[in-house]
Amino acid sequence: MDYLRQVGALVWKDLVVELRTRERVAAMGAFTVLVGILFSFAIDPSVVQPQDIASGLIWMTVIFGGMLGLGRTFHLEEDDGAFQCVLLSPIPRDALFLGKVIANFILLTVVTALVFVVFALFFDLGFGDHPLALAAVVLLGVLGFVAVGTLFSAMSARTTMGETLLPILVFPLLIPVVIYGATATSSLLQGLPVSEVDGNIRMLAAFALVALASGAGLFRFVVEE
Amino acid sequence: MSNRLRSLGVVLGFLGVLLVLVLHWQVFYWVATERSMGVVQRIFYIHVPAAWVAFMAFGIVALCGAGYLWLKDDRLDQAALSAAEGGMLFTTIVLLTGPLWGKVAWGVWWEWELRLTLTLLLWFIYLGYFLVRKSTENPQKGKRFAAVLGIVGALDIPLIHISVKWFRSLHPEPVVMNPDGPTAPPDMLITLFTGVAAFTCLFFCFFLLRYGLERMRHALVLREAGRPGGPVANGVAS
Amino acid sequence: MKKLFLSIVVVTLFVALLPEGVMAQEGLPDPAAIAGQNLRGHTHMFIAYFIAWLLILGWAVSIARRLGKVERALGD
Repeated sequence: MDYLRQVGALVWKDLVVELRTRERVAAMGAFTVLVGILFSFAIDPSVVQPQDIASGLIWMTVIFGGMLGLGRTFHLEEDDGAFQCVLLSPIPRDALFLGKVIANFILLTVVTALVFVVFALFFDLGFGDHPLALAAVVLLGVLGFVAVGTLFSAMSARTTMGETLLPILVFPLLIPVVIYGATATSSLLQGLPVSEVDGNIRMLAAFALVALASGAGLFRFVVEE
Repeated sequence: MSNRLRSLGVVLGFLGVLLVLVLHWQVFYWVATERSMGVVQRIFYIHVPAAWVAFMAFGIVALCGAGYLWLKDDRLDQAALSAAEGGMLFTTIVLLTGPLWGKVAWGVWWEWELRLTLTLLLWFIYLGYFLVRKSTENPQKGKRFAAVLGIVGALDIPLIHISVKWFRSLHPEPVVMNPDGPTAPPDMLITLFTGVAAFTCLFFCFFLLRYGLERMRHALVLREAGRPGGPVANGVAS
Repeated sequence: MKKLFLSIVVVTLFVALLPEGVMAQEGLPDPAAIAGQNLRGHTHMFIAYFIAWLLILGWAVSIARRLGKVERALGD
């Protein structure tokens, strides 16, 4: 019970900080809308219909936009040494990791919802017949992405290369999320039955679980001084 | 470095060179030519062993990394670094020889073939491994970061493997030949095994010598740190 | 008459041009053609072996040089 309260307090702290600065959500939101605009001009509609490749575009937008926010997960605290104080508190390191992941997950869910709205507006996209299954695919994919991204964001924030290092570390590991997430989204947007994406949802859940477990176990080696 | 390790490395090196000579005799004079692909199929006798060594090296990187995080013994980190350097070399060989074969067999330089794709991603994970090590001010931190990356990579590679395989089964390619199908005749298998043995010996020879190099550097840093008025080694106490 | 002449020319040309393919199918396959087929891409093979051994040799040399340097530094 204590553990959950600690995680909750950390999540609350991060969300309050985000609500007050609105730094990351604003950056990610603006980024995704602008990417939507760029995509609509980059695709030649006489060659390929944007609707046909929408699922891939949506996932790329979420991942690129997400990297923008995830890269700055520890920035604010790192700048004035506040993270040292968090580390000094008697909170287990895995609770710290889970708190950061949940806070990032909430932020990225908001951004992902915005991405879907933007693409629905710009590309006249429906959400298919199974919005619940679509939500499960997207949320599990984002959870796995956030878990990997938060661990390596803590790492890259402590290197001299900083955020430029983050995509190099994270992108090769994200292949399962991209493959299962994009194909399942594509099937659901085409209106295929949920049974088609059953396996995808399971694999996305497995990826999220592995990412969360390894992150929670290894986070203390990353933040250790 | 301990002389025993070095002499073991040298012995493995001689064995490796011997096996390489045998391999070349087998590849260029002895083994039968594959019927549909012709001589270009012989790239396989270095391509497959290099891939085997590349993935084995990553296993060593991940295991030594986990051991390092657990025991905080610098020797384990030095072993992981040595294995990573060898792994990156052999991954590069796989990635350069694969397209050379693919251009003739498939007609294109690059095909999103399962194992080739996996090797490409492995190359990037290795790249991240070295970048993380190089870009920290405190070397201890870089060692821990690299170990974490090695472990997460090793956990993720099976998932990448499954997902790429599944993705390819979704979009079947018309001209994918099964390079080492179950029907390979015995002389080809023998040649392949010679290649695997040769590359494994060479890898461990280099691995041991590289490890010895890292040990000697470590000793040098410690000595410089102990010298009065010398530069203070930055957190390299073991 | 003209038609007959034309057809003879066509048939002669046909027989003159075709036999290689036909005869190759009748008898044993032409060894030269098989060799050409088998040697397809042999430059690729040699380049692959060259690259592989060049990289391995390069790494061996680099380790040897680094070892020598550290040994000299340890010596003095």
